[in-house]
Amino acid sequence: MMKHRYQTPMGPLWFLKREGYRRFMVREMTAFAMAAFLVYLLYWLRAIGDGYTAFVQMVELTRNPVTVTLLALAFGAVLYHSITWFNLTPKIMPMYVAEEKIPDVWAAIIMGYLPCAAVTTVILWSVMRTG
Amino acid sequence: MPDKTITLDVFRFQPEGDGKATFQKFDVPYHDHWVVLDALNWIKDEVDGTLTYRWSCRMGVCGSCGMMVDGVPKLTCAAFLKDYYPSPVRVEPLAYFPVERDLVIDMEGFLDKLKSIRPWLIREQEKPLEDGVYLQSPNELASFKQYTMCINCLLCYAACPVVGAEEDFIGPAAIAIAQRYNLDNRDQGEHLRADAMASDEGAWGCTFVGECSEVCPKNVDPAGAIQRAKVDNTKDWYKRMLMPWGQR
Amino acid sequence: MAFKKSNEAFWWSLFSAGGVASAMFLPALLVVVCVVLPNQYLDDPRASYEHLFSLVTWWPVRLLLLGVIGFSFFHVGHRIRHVMNDLGWRQHTAPLSLLCYGGALLGAATAAWIILTFPAVPQ
Repeated sequence: MMKHRYQTPMGPLWFLKREGYRRFMVREMTAFAMAAFLVYLLYWLRAIGDGYTAFVQMVELTRNPVTVTLLALAFGAVLYHSITWFNLTPKIMPMYVAEEKIPDVWAAIIMGYLPCAAVTTVILWSVMRTG
Repeated sequence: MPDKTITLDVFRFQPEGDGKATFQKFDVPYHDHWVVLDALNWIKDEVDGTLTYRWSCRMGVCGSCGMMVDGVPKLTCAAFLKDYYPSPVRVEPLAYFPVERDLVIDMEGFLDKLKSIRPWLIREQEKPLEDGVYLQSPNELASFKQYTMCINCLLCYAACPVVGAEEDFIGPAAIAIAQRYNLDNRDQGEHLRADAMASDEGAWGCTFVGECSEVCPKNVDPAGAIQRAKVDNTKDWYKRMLMPWGQR
Repeated sequence: MAFKKSNEAFWWSLFSAGGVASAMFLPALLVVVCVVLPNQYLDDPRASYEHLFSLVTWWPVRLLLLGVIGFSFFHVGHRIRHVMNDLGWRQHTAPLSLLCYGGALLGAATAAWIILTFPAVPQ
């Protein structure tokens, strides 16, 4: 008895076929932009260590319209990662308080969005208060 | 023929034929309350008795009638014609499974995968009857009840790209059902399921696409079950690495 | 069915740590580096630099930056490895893993080198 394998081979573009797959790929692709941003961050840190002249050069580089465009894209990627990560965290680690399950929406806020907001506030405040 | 009809574009395959699959169009009477399964039954009764497909309860609890409806895995007893009318409806067998005939898929592979995670309560020592029942509080039940709802309809397998790409991936339902037992306080068999669960063919094969939970008709959330299995296995891995003495 | 033991748990734990670190801290760091610093510099560049220097070289901040950047590199390395799997590279994956985790290690090591060897005073 012949079995027909009705399975279109999963070509490299399988993720275009369904909306859920497309959103998944966008989420995964943020890794490339984030990797580039991390390298950029290292250049900033090195510049701070190297001295005032290097610092000024990094500021000028950041003002360059090409850099601005790339950083805007990186920002989109970083935000999308944060949002998808916080939203998925309650699925990975459901939150229980006294044996009651906290609804995923609240768990995401408590475990993700709130601490992120706090951390962001502290960082921005520390950097912005020029002594 | 009643006034309104809707076209069903149905996948046909006969194993005794030339090994080629075709699509056959049927004009089916349209009724507001009809589901795709009603349309298939009408075709089999009135037009072509050779059309082959699985169905049983027609109310979403047996898990038999899963098929691809316009490319989306659905229970055909829960897919209303009025959501597609007047466009034609394409009906195909569940994706990522070999096809036996027409809309019937071969689920032997799934059954082997299910067996590999031992879907039954495992005790180190069975309690004798005189000792009475196993106690379970409502909260203890609540921690795994969601995973008991699986009806083995295989819609999640038809939605999972890893199932499509990796033949040995045990798949969303098998892992969710394993969790049903692992999280049941009466069960003591987690370590016996660990070989399957902790392998690359088990929970680690999953890349958290999440489509399985999207298509599940019983809100089992297999994606969540799999991620929790990853967390449990990670804790276990560190315990074994950092404290290799003793315990299983 | 025969199953092979997997050490994926280890890489996944690094991925998760990096995922949390990057989700929590990268938005703020990006705003600092791309918006705050270029604008702050306009007012009093020298003071802006010296303030930033003292902030970044403070040991608690150094350790935080090292942790966030280091784990984030492993997060993206692991994710990129799985993306390449998803795009078709499923056979002979040893060189892929080497590239991804090796790259992550390189990134983390570079971060450590830069952060741990800051000069004592602003230059």
